[in-house]
Amino acid sequence: MSSKKTALFGLAVLRPVALSILSLFLVSACATAPDPTDPEAVSEYRQINDPAEPANRAIFAVNEVVDMVVLKPAAGMYRDLVPPPVRDGIHNALNNLRSPVVLFNDLLQGEFERAGTTIVRFVINSTIGVLGLGDPASSLGFEYHNEDFGQTLAAWGLEEGPYIMLPILGPSNPRDTVGMVVDLLVDPFNWWAHNTDRDYVTYTRAGLRAVDERARNYEALEDLKRSSLDYYATIRSLYRQRRTDEIRNGDDSAVSPAPGLSTVPDGPRVRKTEEVSLSQ
Amino acid sequence: MKISITRNVAATAAFLFLSAVALAGPASASQSDDAEAFINGLADKAIEALTTSDVGEAERVKRFRQMFRENFAVEDIGKRVLGRYWRRASDDEQKQYLQLFEDYITASYAKQFASYTGEELVITKTLAEGETGATVFSEIKLPGGGQKPVRVDWRLEGSGKQFKIIDLVIEGVSMSTTLNSDFGSIIRNSGGKVSGLLKVLEEKTASLKNVN
Repeated sequence: MSSKKTALFGLAVLRPVALSILSLFLVSACATAPDPTDPEAVSEYRQINDPAEPANRAIFAVNEVVDMVVLKPAAGMYRDLVPPPVRDGIHNALNNLRSPVVLFNDLLQGEFERAGTTIVRFVINSTIGVLGLGDPASSLGFEYHNEDFGQTLAAWGLEEGPYIMLPILGPSNPRDTVGMVVDLLVDPFNWWAHNTDRDYVTYTRAGLRAVDERARNYEALEDLKRSSLDYYATIRSLYRQRRTDEIRNGDDSAVSPAPGLSTVPDGPRVRKTEEVSLSQ
Repeated sequence: MKISITRNVAATAAFLFLSAVALAGPASASQSDDAEAFINGLADKAIEALTTSDVGEAERVKRFRQMFRENFAVEDIGKRVLGRYWRRASDDEQKQYLQLFEDYITASYAKQFASYTGEELVITKTLAEGETGATVFSEIKLPGGGQKPVRVDWRLEGSGKQFKIIDLVIEGVSMSTTLNSDFGSIIRNSGGKVSGLLKVLEEKTASLKNVN
């Protein structure tokens, strides 16, 4: 393919992301810095790691409106009108289309066994599974797992950086934002669509993925929105914890203290020392 | 964005927990066997007490609250959720907070059990942590198949027949950690005052009750 096309494709993908990030800085309000003489407040501020909180909240509010007007109704209709087996088929096919990107990241993380699973799944599901609509591989013991370049960067030791709320795309951080762009750029199906002037395929796929994801979490998100005191802060915490879990591939979360427990000052394990220090 | 923690699952998990009338057998074999027996017993009891369709809403709420008190270290969880602000709260505020915390959890979770549709809890492994702690790893299988089971880790304190749940971790998401972020944010936005949280907590609990 010509290098001009390459550049164009990169630009087409990168532009919205770049704009999103730029807009973050345009709304350049910053979170109130903590009192530097209060070490607890300082450590809390670092832990929350959301220096652009006011801007992030503003973007989150806009995203919520977009969700209310577009995504949520679409997901609701999708759930109500499309029968479950069809939705499962679409979900399977979307997962199957991600295989090259998952494989790419399995390999970069040195997860060769998982890479093997990804290849076997792709072969079985694309053929016997009829273009990935079915998932016979799972019943043969080759279950789906996801990987992305954000997780690869984490596996390589890169910190996530501050929390960022991306317009439309939702919660992220610099590491995962870069990861998202890399995943888009390496995805062979995106290349194929672009080189055959079928970019609409890429957009349709992205749209379907959003609707599928939203529909699958429909109740969970509504519940969360209704019962949380601060939905924004709750989502921020959930995003971080889920990413940590995904990066560890869901392994043994209890070998170490549960995520965040050790950082919450009044946990049972810490309390004793605190009592000691208080009595001094 | 992928937040596959479903409230239903949280509720199922919570109530599975709830029944701790340990059916535990004779002289306990080990800390992890005891912990597993606790969770299994809790699961059975919660399903029995909370999900039957002929339980009225008020009765369900009452039963949930009782199970929550009996099987969760409510005060420790409440304190941990408040984090560093616990020590800033006056005695009065602490008392009021713990009551509101229990009310809030009850209001958000009790009704979830009404929509129980046959989810099943399967323990995958258990790790003893010292002599007074354990984590029971489980999967909640959703009915109908096709869907991936949801991972739920139960973090326990205690031994023998006396266990209390100190945290619930669903697909890597800890309930305490999440609530800690939620409550902390409200306090910071109220100028660091715990009283600000108490007000919001009270209002939220009232609105959750009204939904029913």
